[in-house]
Amino acid sequence: MQKKPGPWRRACHQCDLLLERAVAPLGQKLVCPRCNATLHRNGAHSIRYTAALSLTGLLLFIPSATLPLLHFSIFTFGAENTLFNGVQSLFGAGYIWLSSLVLFCSVLAPLGKFTLLAFISWGCGWEALDRPVANAVRWYHHLRDWAMLDVYMLGILVALVKMSDLGKMVVEPGLYCFAAMMLVSNLTTLSFDPHAVWARMARRRDRPPAGEAAGDGP
Amino acid sequence: MTGPPKARESGLTSCLCCHQLVRMPQGEESCRCPRCGARVHTRQVGSLTLTWAFVITGAFLLVPANILPVMTVIYLGAGEPSTIVSGVMQLYDTGLWGIALIVFVASIAVPVMKLVGLVLLLVQIQFRLPLIPLQAMQLYRVVSAIGRWSLLDLFMISILVALVDMGAIAEVAAGPGSTAFATVVVVTMLAARFFDPRLIWDAYDARRGRKGAVEGAVRNG
Repeated sequence: MQKKPGPWRRACHQCDLLLERAVAPLGQKLVCPRCNATLHRNGAHSIRYTAALSLTGLLLFIPSATLPLLHFSIFTFGAENTLFNGVQSLFGAGYIWLSSLVLFCSVLAPLGKFTLLAFISWGCGWEALDRPVANAVRWYHHLRDWAMLDVYMLGILVALVKMSDLGKMVVEPGLYCFAAMMLVSNLTTLSFDPHAVWARMARRRDRPPAGEAAGDGP
Repeated sequence: MTGPPKARESGLTSCLCCHQLVRMPQGEESCRCPRCGARVHTRQVGSLTLTWAFVITGAFLLVPANILPVMTVIYLGAGEPSTIVSGVMQLYDTGLWGIALIVFVASIAVPVMKLVGLVLLLVQIQFRLPLIPLQAMQLYRVVSAIGRWSLLDLFMISILVALVDMGAIAEVAAGPGSTAFATVVVVTMLAARFFDPRLIWDAYDARRGRKGAVEGAVRNG
């Protein structure tokens, strides 16, 4: 009874139910029998997929942040919208709190999310990075809720429809990159399983240190 | 104590960040998770108080967010400030009822539903009212999942401000209501975050345990 809890024992984080021998089979998820909370989603090749997807997301971030998303014109006057210039004009108009919130939720948090996940999934192969990777997982946990690319996408669509009777609205290439980035972002969230990272660290700690020193990558 | 085994009764707590089962040091309520380094609390400290504080702040801020204009569209020199509600009405009047519905749900229904849902949960726990835990959990999950969609209107404003900027011909300017609304969204998201769902089960078990004890006493006595 008083022995140290083994890795097979866990408690539901939403209702505090103690569970013995709770492990999800590969490709399935573990649901709390009392409150139906998803305890663990055990996806196949979680770390590999996350590594690939987060790099894709980082690459897609470059065109979606630099290329214009929409072009709007009335007669001969036109203006473009990028991820940043909306924030800029709000900041210029004195809405500092609002503009920093928009900047954080639509640029900084998704970028941070991709960077952290890329670091976690590529870095967890090296023992020297165990501590920073653990911290990164913790930061990711806090940052996750604030990345709102999907909400921003819906905002773009609403703006597109709302202004289409006032002037001419043209979809620019940046929007396609942005939509792809949103999709990749959601896929990354789905594929990332922190337990795979913890399991890898635990496996390495159990192995004798004289084994292989360098990581084998994700 | 009968019923399903709870982690707290065996001196264990699940780390909310990495779900590692942590043994609490004797007589303490919080420690560091040995695996991920996050602070682990048996129950989130001051969960009810903080959630109440954020919910009340959000409810008060909902007033300026809805009274003050969030956005002004000036087209050929004419145009007046619109609030959140009048923005939805405008969309509906121009026949875009699908978009009107989306904006209505995101910026009016969701914040109100969130606040009402959280108040329901808080009242049930605080005053030990009878509750159906599975229903309460459902409510909690819905409340914490929908919150982010309220930012839709603010993202749209930030897009339009940059996009429609042609001086005298057409211009979109943000209004002071948008700041209040942004704060409502952030505050309600924080409220849902600080609410600890394990309290629902504590309240439920405490109630059931008390009832069981009373019944046992009646049967014995």
